[in-house]
Amino acid sequence: MAHDFLSIYGAKAAEYLLAIGYLLLFIPFWRYVQGARPKEAVVRAGAAAHAAAGAARTAFPGRAAGATAPSPTAGWFQVPAGVYLHPGHTWARLEADGLVSVGIDDFAHKLVGAAALELPELGTRVAQGEPALEVGDDERKVPMLSPLDGSVVAVNAAAREHPEAIDEPYGRGWLFKVKPSRLAANLRQLLEGAPARRFLEDAGEAIAFRMSPQLATVLQDGGTPIHGIARALAGDDWDQLARQHFLA
Amino acid sequence: MASARMQVAAAPQGFGGFVKEKVLLGMSVKDYVRSCCTPVNAVAAVILAVGLPLLAYRFYAGLGATTNLSQTAPWGLWIGFDMMTGIVLAAGGFTIGASVQIFGLKEYHAIERPAILTAFLGYVMAVIGLIADLGRPWNMAFFPFNYGTASALFEVAWCVLCYTSVLFLEFTLPFFEWAGWARAAAFMKKLLIALTVLSVMFSTMHQSALGSLFLLAPTKLHPLWYTPFIFIFFFISAIVAGISMVVVESSISHRVFHRQLEGQPVDADKLILGLGKAGAVVMFAYFFLKLQGVVDGHAWGYLATGYGALFLVEVLGFILLPSLLFAYGARNGKVKLVQFAGLLGVLGIVLNRLNVSVVAFNWQLPSAQRYVPHWMEIWVSVTLVTIGVLAFRWIVNRMPILREDPRFPGAH
Repeated sequence: MAHDFLSIYGAKAAEYLLAIGYLLLFIPFWRYVQGARPKEAVVRAGAAAHAAAGAARTAFPGRAAGATAPSPTAGWFQVPAGVYLHPGHTWARLEADGLVSVGIDDFAHKLVGAAALELPELGTRVAQGEPALEVGDDERKVPMLSPLDGSVVAVNAAAREHPEAIDEPYGRGWLFKVKPSRLAANLRQLLEGAPARRFLEDAGEAIAFRMSPQLATVLQDGGTPIHGIARALAGDDWDQLARQHFLA
Repeated sequence: MASARMQVAAAPQGFGGFVKEKVLLGMSVKDYVRSCCTPVNAVAAVILAVGLPLLAYRFYAGLGATTNLSQTAPWGLWIGFDMMTGIVLAAGGFTIGASVQIFGLKEYHAIERPAILTAFLGYVMAVIGLIADLGRPWNMAFFPFNYGTASALFEVAWCVLCYTSVLFLEFTLPFFEWAGWARAAAFMKKLLIALTVLSVMFSTMHQSALGSLFLLAPTKLHPLWYTPFIFIFFFISAIVAGISMVVVESSISHRVFHRQLEGQPVDADKLILGLGKAGAVVMFAYFFLKLQGVVDGHAWGYLATGYGALFLVEVLGFILLPSLLFAYGARNGKVKLVQFAGLLGVLGIVLNRLNVSVVAFNWQLPSAQRYVPHWMEIWVSVTLVTIGVLAFRWIVNRMPILREDPRFPGAH
């Protein structure tokens, strides 16, 4: 009975029509599924900051990202407005001449302390998420990741020769400048404003937790971290701790 | 290493301390036993008290005494439900593992370990069901040495063996963290991406190989379900099942184990909505594939029969409907709707596997010769599911599955 329902040609025609129908319907279906409206109701307190970070990244170039829970380590590490942070603790800032300055953030600076720097050569191509520079001492080096793609057009020799220059990590402590090749796409992957501050607070909490794991977030009162936290916490294994935070 | 020093400092002292802290959750034996006296545990105890002796009886007295299987119906509930359904619902392990480790969707990391644990337990229970279903289970020890490379069962057996081993190795990571073995945990963490690649490979091979089994019996399976492409259908429906099962399992876990999740920076609702999007798209494609299978098999005429009604219930009610609900729920942020769609998806896959391997199998036989499961088969199947759920609960309450172990920050 059923097997005589369609001729081979009729069946093939039905198959093609079904396939074409599927493809035509799939486009609006896909657009419908992807076109989610902003949703506020499901953002719960414990996840508010992380959800806000995601929303802010999507809405680049960075609108206000809602309420963030107060953090016991808030204020330990600074990030000025207009600086975009990479999760590997490097930063990028658009300059007036179209170039992008790159450096290490306040957290990285305080984690490692005064350190010898290995900077890329002029003309080197760097890629977002790939190692671009190294920090360390005579024995150990820890690579750090480039926050964006491009070619290196300037290197801060002063910072290389005088590590104390990076005491101002976002100022005269810039490390090199890049002529960007995929700026818009790269910036979408970086954190700016409230998400960037929250990111540094999270990093601070991780460090605080390491200082007193049993006490969790109950911290010492007052004060800010010393320079060279990694050596203070992990001794000779400071580079392992740094690698963990720098995603190296 | 500083972290190792901290682990030693934080670890409970001595074996007795370890058992009390890690196994008895800080309680004395008396308090622990008392804490286990709950209505849910009482029901589970009744199921196990009957089911485990039944399982032992099956190995003592054989299949004939405990099942309604026969030469015409050699596959019953233990294959259709425990094996076919258990395996497909365990597909969340490779689906989420691949999403996180290979496709870089790191935000789903929070549900990777529960998915892998569900998969591991699902496979272990499926293997027990399979061993119970084998007429001569002791021959299983020899299958690796019988090079039946033309046999679909040979492939299934190897893939189940390999993938269960991979899942076991993936599961050792939270186990080592729980035991405080930092070096072993660090080693397994390095292996995780390789294991994920293997898990995708083995799952792809053997989810589809389970479908390939039906290529051996094209006339026994009803034309609405049989298609020469059934192995592709099995694989795609495994992805559907994996996503749906993770939605359901996450929803239940977040309700039952909510204390473990307090204060964690994970927006579970956001993850569920994301899974809803993926589920909508995959189910939409699967729906059209099912229709294509009917057209390709010239089986339209059967839609007007009783089997056709069952097929339409499966395809419209448990594939198209959850796909649309997933889409609407994910777009409009309706988490409960997505969870409901996930439940429909899971039920739909259970229905599909039971239809393929039991209901629509041997469909041409007179009803007197059709297979109806023995009550002992049903009880043993329920027992295996209960063991899986209890094992999941036991492990989640102790090991870093839903939460991070404080001694391994950033590992979860």
